[in-house]
Amino acid sequence: MNNAQQTARVGLFFLLGLALTWVTFETLSGGTIFKEKGYMLIAGFESLKELKQGDDVRMAGVKIGTIETTRLAGRRAEAVLRIDPGVKVATDATASIVMAGLIGTNYVSIDLGSASAGALADGAEIRTKVTPDINSIMTDLGNLGQKLDGALSSFGSAFNGDGKGGGLFQKLDKLVTDNSDRVSTTMTNLQEITTKLNKGEGTLGKLINDPSLHDELVAAVDEIKSAATQAKGFVSDAQGIIAQVKSGQGALGTLVYDEATANNLRVTVANIRSVSDKLAKGEGTLGKLINDDTLYNTAQNTLKKADRAIDGLGDSGPITAVGIVAKSLF
Amino acid sequence: MKQLTSILEGFGSTLQLFLRALSYAGTLPRQRARFIEQCYLIGYTTLPIVAILSFFIGAVLALQAGYSMQNFGAMQFIGSLVGLSMARELGPVMVAILLAGRVGSAITAELASMKVNQEVDALETMNIPPARMLVLPRLAAALVMVPVLAIIADLVGWFGGAIVAKYTSFISIEPEAYFSVLRRYMKFQDVMNGLIKAEIFGLGVVLVCCNIGLNTRGGPREIGASVTRAVVVSLILILVLDYFVTKVLI
Repeated sequence: MNNAQQTARVGLFFLLGLALTWVTFETLSGGTIFKEKGYMLIAGFESLKELKQGDDVRMAGVKIGTIETTRLAGRRAEAVLRIDPGVKVATDATASIVMAGLIGTNYVSIDLGSASAGALADGAEIRTKVTPDINSIMTDLGNLGQKLDGALSSFGSAFNGDGKGGGLFQKLDKLVTDNSDRVSTTMTNLQEITTKLNKGEGTLGKLINDPSLHDELVAAVDEIKSAATQAKGFVSDAQGIIAQVKSGQGALGTLVYDEATANNLRVTVANIRSVSDKLAKGEGTLGKLINDDTLYNTAQNTLKKADRAIDGLGDSGPITAVGIVAKSLF
Repeated sequence: MKQLTSILEGFGSTLQLFLRALSYAGTLPRQRARFIEQCYLIGYTTLPIVAILSFFIGAVLALQAGYSMQNFGAMQFIGSLVGLSMARELGPVMVAILLAGRVGSAITAELASMKVNQEVDALETMNIPPARMLVLPRLAAALVMVPVLAIIADLVGWFGGAIVAKYTSFISIEPEAYFSVLRRYMKFQDVMNGLIKAEIFGLGVVLVCCNIGLNTRGGPREIGASVTRAVVVSLILILVLDYFVTKVLI
């Protein structure tokens, strides 16, 4: 191999090494040639916890970008999110840091926001909310453990006594010891009562042991059921009638819901009232008949005259009867 | 005591050789042909074996990691494990060991042969320092070529791991996911640390092998002994240096 070939191969090999080093640098350090596309959003948090560069940004569980960088900005920490092009993040969407596993991997979760909201622009700041991390949960668990410990100590003191006075068990023991005779008597009485109950003595015993009471009770329940069935039928019929009335069927329905009938009824009532008013005032023939005594007196006189005429007719004979009647009347 | 003295003498002579070679650094442009030749030997001819070994080391690493991690569901992190292991540790160490075995032994054999055949003495007689003519081109070639070998070893190892991660039934991780995790958990600083380590190992191996070769005394039998000693000392040096350099770079 001549020197020229050897030199060319060495040069090629060296250039290959340089190229590979450059590719590795671009890939791992986010250089320009392999720079991911998309737009940036800024999310400010009180603490980024375990969040670091390269972690996922997910919306509804779907990866939509990565953490471009993290930085301190005044009194807060900021994560710059690179969102994939084509993914729109609503202006009212909220970002939070979510724990992906117990080994310290976190990601930023963005909710969908409302459909009507617009999309955040490149460089805009997204709203954030704080979620509890594993440390705060463990702290809470520790506090809970302390409280449980205190509660159990209180229970222990209550049961076993705190040294000053006896505990619950000691008091119970003293109570039972002091009242052993009464307790014994009570137990004896209870035994007698249960024996009687078992034998069917007394009202409660019969209620428990007598099958006829059971039958009567079943019959009573049947009757109640029957009554309930009838009541149900009655209610059903009433509902049917009400339905018919509501639909304007039948006399009552017509009366309640037919406007024309109601108007007629109103006119009729008005007419009756008018007639009764006239009657009360003595207007018209019937009113005068009711209210005017003159007609009564006239009729009475006429009847008297007729009476006399009939009497005269009997004396003068039938020939002059017509004349007598006419005379008497007129 | 004699062995300790021998070790200290080796350290001292190697350091002296390095300083002497550095003092002739200005003559390197005039030794371009030798430099290119050494680059060819150290870099170009070592590439195939480095590529083959790093591919299978990456593959085995992915296989073992997948087997171990399947019990606790962390197989998605295979990419970062293989990437970091290759870049920070296995790539540089493997390149240095291959360099010691393939190039270092050749250097020692060549220089020991020259020494035994009094060619080195002849050079000195002609006022040509061996450190300038024999050591400096090799050191410079190692300085330039070893990082190239290391970056190739890293990348080939990563791809070997990716192929195994995809086609092994109980791992089945797509290359996209593999490299995504690798990129997420790796920084270029990790690769740079590996390249720095490889550079230090390469210079150490070449220096040790040159020094042992130039200090060979006796007949042809001593050439073989010097080669064996050079390879053994180089391997020990690589592993000892590895600990301290890693400690410094972390």
